[in-house]
Amino acid sequence: MQIKINNLSYTYLAKTPNEVEALHDVNLEIPEGKITSIIGHTGSGKSTLIQTLNGLLIPTSGEVHVGEYVVTNKKKKNKKIKDLRKSLAIVFQFPEYQLFEETVEKDVAFGLKNYGVKEPEAIKLAHKALNEVGIDKSFYKRSPFELSGGEKRRVAIAGIIALNPDILVLDEPTAGLDPLGSKIILSLVEKFNKEGKTIIIVTHDMNIVLNYSDHVVVMNDGKVAFEGTPSTLFNGDISKYSIDVPELFKFVKILESKGMKLDISKIRTLDDLINQLKEKR
Amino acid sequence: MNNLTFGRYSPFNTFIHKLDPRNKIFLMIVLFVCVFLKVTVWSSTLIMAGTLFLFMICIMLISKVSVLSLLKSLGAMWLLFLFLLIIYMFVPNPAYDKTHVAFTINNYPVYYDAFIQWGYIVIRLVMMLMVTMILTSTTKPMDLTYGLEWYLTPLKIVKFPSHIVAMTLSIALRFIPTLIDETNRIIKAQSSRGVDFNHGGIFKRFRAIFALIIPLFVSAITRSEELSDAMEARGYDPYAKRSRYRKLQFHLCDLLALIVAILVFGAILTLVIYNNHFVQVDIIYWISGVRPIL
Repeated sequence: MQIKINNLSYTYLAKTPNEVEALHDVNLEIPEGKITSIIGHTGSGKSTLIQTLNGLLIPTSGEVHVGEYVVTNKKKKNKKIKDLRKSLAIVFQFPEYQLFEETVEKDVAFGLKNYGVKEPEAIKLAHKALNEVGIDKSFYKRSPFELSGGEKRRVAIAGIIALNPDILVLDEPTAGLDPLGSKIILSLVEKFNKEGKTIIIVTHDMNIVLNYSDHVVVMNDGKVAFEGTPSTLFNGDISKYSIDVPELFKFVKILESKGMKLDISKIRTLDDLINQLKEKR
Repeated sequence: MNNLTFGRYSPFNTFIHKLDPRNKIFLMIVLFVCVFLKVTVWSSTLIMAGTLFLFMICIMLISKVSVLSLLKSLGAMWLLFLFLLIIYMFVPNPAYDKTHVAFTINNYPVYYDAFIQWGYIVIRLVMMLMVTMILTSTTKPMDLTYGLEWYLTPLKIVKFPSHIVAMTLSIALRFIPTLIDETNRIIKAQSSRGVDFNHGGIFKRFRAIFALIIPLFVSAITRSEELSDAMEARGYDPYAKRSRYRKLQFHLCDLLALIVAILVFGAILTLVIYNNHFVQVDIIYWISGVRPIL
């Protein structure tokens, strides 16, 4: 499914003295089957943007097309929003706070039941999703509140992917996790992408942008400031977006300044760099 | 959840905002008493209530409290008003004047008095709402708790921990907006899992509420544990003597407001006592010379 955003604007507390325009005339196309990162500093409209994608926020003006679904401020057209939420699922920041059932498997099956999947089938699908995120069978009957932070988050993500959405949106999936926990989550994301799901990640971590994403969107003051591949972004002038340079990129830049000839546009992970260095030898 | 604006503090710098919170709490109680005083003749009571109502509208205008948000919250209460009306119409009351029947439904008489009683209740509810709204939207929640604490201090003699109560209150007030944000976040997260909070039958909605309440409780409890740890880490001792950055002060404007309130109270009290114990004054008769039908 393709996402196409036309002239999207969103204003918080519209028509009150405290109104804030969070998005201003955003036009965007998110490529199908790729990992897209949305970055930008706090208050740039990233979170607002992803919440309009599945109709949690109804745009003040403009339209969001997700496959056959449309989100607009015209009420008639928004009837299928519940179905849209099944195809485009959002994993919010700190998703562990949305757990509430008595057991892990029940919590994962909860979303499925909301879409009319009956009990035995829902539990079966829940087990499949839990297996995918690497949660062991021994956890299935335990309370989700007993798990560690990283495990809780994986259970919460399982609850979303159990719905088998075509598009998965993750808001800061690694916030508050240790390096190992982050790595597990990100490799999961990569796996879903290989299975053909379109992925959108909102993040502050430029290393994620460089290592994992195919496409990057920079938001600034509610507008799209940049759209393109990560290497074009980091090779260009990024000082105006107030974002960091990824560690790997800094290192490559230093190597280059010392006279090393490397193809910077092909370096996305540490392995790419090592391979290029090996070739040089 | 975003329409939870009733009585939220709005930062203006009006006469009412400047008043001492202790004074405001006292004035509120005085106004409450005024609202509930009753004269035997209904027309006088209604006129008295009407005058009071106008007085409160004036205060609202002075303090820049939004009349629109009052109307909105009244709109939300229409069901209650309707319910009250039905009760007053159909529940027999020996105190009703049986000689004036407004209309009959299936031979069941509905008296004019029922409507009058209903009118009393509605106007009182509205005025109570107004007074509370003026108080909360012109006083910072913290100042309000300081004011309450001051009223509770005499209870220290009987070992009542007024400062602990005040601290609990101020923490509770401080976390209301935080919990509202949290609620909104959980609603969004659960909506992404297909929960529909606005449609569906009772059972489905009940399930939906569970999906909201449990995570909310969990996070509130976690938060309270973190808060108590943080307070202890900074050396909070509930029994220690605490100093304060902001001191409450009684200003000239407080005296002015107090005088106005006492004048209003005095006028109404005089009218009530005069009416109930000496002569029944019917204001409508006084002015127009026509005796009302009841």
